[in-house]
Formats: sequence, structure tokens, C-alpha cells
Amino acid sequence: MSEPQSALLLRKQLAELNKNPVEGFSAGLIDDNDIYRWEVLIIGPPDTLYEGGFFKCHLYFPKEYPLRPPKMKFVTEIWHPNIDKNGDVCISILHEPGDDKFGYEKASERWLPVHTVETILISVISMLADPNDESPANVDAAKEWRESYTEFKKKVARCVRKSQEEC
Amino acid sequence: MGNCLKRSTTDDISLLRGNDSVRESSSDQLSPPNYQEALPAQQAILPVYHPSPSVTRSVAQLTEEEQVKIAKRIGLIQHLPTGTYDGCKKTRECVICMGEFMVGDALRYLPCMHTYHMKCIDDWLMRSLTCPSCMEPVDAALLTSYETN
Repeated sequence: MSEPQSALLLRKQLAELNKNPVEGFSAGLIDDNDIYRWEVLIIGPPDTLYEGGFFKCHLYFPKEYPLRPPKMKFVTEIWHPNIDKNGDVCISILHEPGDDKFGYEKASERWLPVHTVETILISVISMLADPNDESPANVDAAKEWRESYTEFKKKVARCVRKSQEEC
Repeated sequence: MGNCLKRSTTDDISLLRGNDSVRESSSDQLSPPNYQEALPAQQAILPVYHPSPSVTRSVAQLTEEEQVKIAKRIGLIQHLPTGTYDGCKKTRECVICMGEFMVGDALRYLPCMHTYHMKCIDDWLMRSLTCPSCMEPVDAALLTSYETN
């Protein structure tokens, strides 16, 4: 049988990202033989607390991509309200539309089949700059971000330093 | 119509009997399985549906409510206009598969005027009735277009 459409689509994106890299991250595969598992290095966005850091992430695509979203995980330790302590990213565009009556509740914020590695990474990078306080995945980080920003900054700075050493 | 799942065993006999069953045993019976009469053991080849985007169920496992929901959805999708790419349209690419439209490709047009490969968009609409490009709910837009026409 020929390769599934999801694999072709991911291969196309990988080739495109290799040819025309996008500022802010670099993308590749964890294992060259598995197009469904990507490794991405995010460069801490300038003018944010994460500036100077290098954060390694993994993206796991389902066979049904692009009908279903990938899962994303930070491998490098990071302190952020929307990334849980295991590194799992909690961002609305990676969530499928809920089982609401009509199937399009807040559709604009949910997963759509037009999302690519590039659009996902752009959202995640913007999330680093601008955490979403409403749906924290790391409650302690969210609380700190709101109530004791100095402590929050210190923890982030520690992660940034650690990420530089690991790199 | 006959149950194609039994075909392999009844084939020869029906041929011997001649007349009425000849058409039934023709080779095109290999295509879609007969849903209603399929046995649980055959579930692997049953089509699957998505009552909501993250839920995947074989047709035999759907609740009555889900069957109605999916039937309505199929009905709605079938009301959306389709066409064939003739090479001279404004849109040249299907943003779902990131593939260029080739002359002869089956396309589907959504009420918001966004165009996709029929195969690509139908798979998505069966999960969520929204346009992937502009997020417009397809069912509401379809009803509006009926009212204005």
C-alpha cells in the first residue's frame, strides 16, 4: 500500500521547513524513519523571560493528522502556566472541537486541519510570550505568575540557564 | 440485496442455480460491506464514524442518537455544491492536504466560498461542521443561503 496521506503531508512540511527555515525554531525528526515523531528546538523568544533559552520539544502526530491534532511535549524543563510539570503543552489549538451540540463551540480556538508544524510552533512561541491565565496546566506556575512575579521570573531564569547548559 | 459477506460460500451454488443470483455474485460485490447484516467479527472492516471529533466508533457501536447526528451531517454535506477542477480557478491549492488542484480533481465548495478537495473536506466535515479556513459553521451558513435564495 502507498504511504498514508498524513505521512505525505508531514514529509512535505519537513522538506519545506528544511528549505525555508522559520525564525524562532528548528524542526527535525526524533528518528529519521518515523515521520510522525518530530523534535523541535524552540529559541526563547526575544523580549520575554524565556529569551536566550533553547527548549527541546517533541511533537507526536496521529495517523489521522491533519484531521486530528498532534500532542506536544517540552523535553527541556520549563516553567510556564500553560505547560504542565511533565512538559505537556496545554494550548487550545491542540484540542479538538468539543462534543458540544453543534460541533463548533469556540471553533476558532480549537484544532483545525489547516494547522501545520509552523502554525503550531508560532502559537506555542506566542504562548511563551503571553501565557493564558484562564486555562493553567501548571497551577503553581500560574499562581506564581499572578501573585509573585519575582519568584516566577527567578524560576524561569533558572530553566533558561539550565537549557543553555544542556544544549 | 444479498449479503456480500456470505458471498464466498454461496457463490458457487448461486451460479449453479443460474437465473436470479447471477448479478449478485458479480465481482463488484467486493466493495462496501453490507452494514446492517455485518457480524461483530467483521468489525475490522466496518466503516468508522466520529460522533464528535475525538470519538471514533465503528458503525455497529453507534448509539441511536449518534446515528441520527451522523445521518443529519451526511445529509448536510450532500447539500453542499461540488465540482471538478478545470484549471482556471482562483484557488489552486487544497489547504488541508497542501496539494495543488489537478485538472479533474473532485472539489467541494463551502457556503463561505472556500474550496477544498472533496475527499479532504468531507473527512473533516464528518468530524466538525466548520470551514477550516474561516471557521464559519457550515450548517448555519447553509440555512442562511437557503433563506436568502
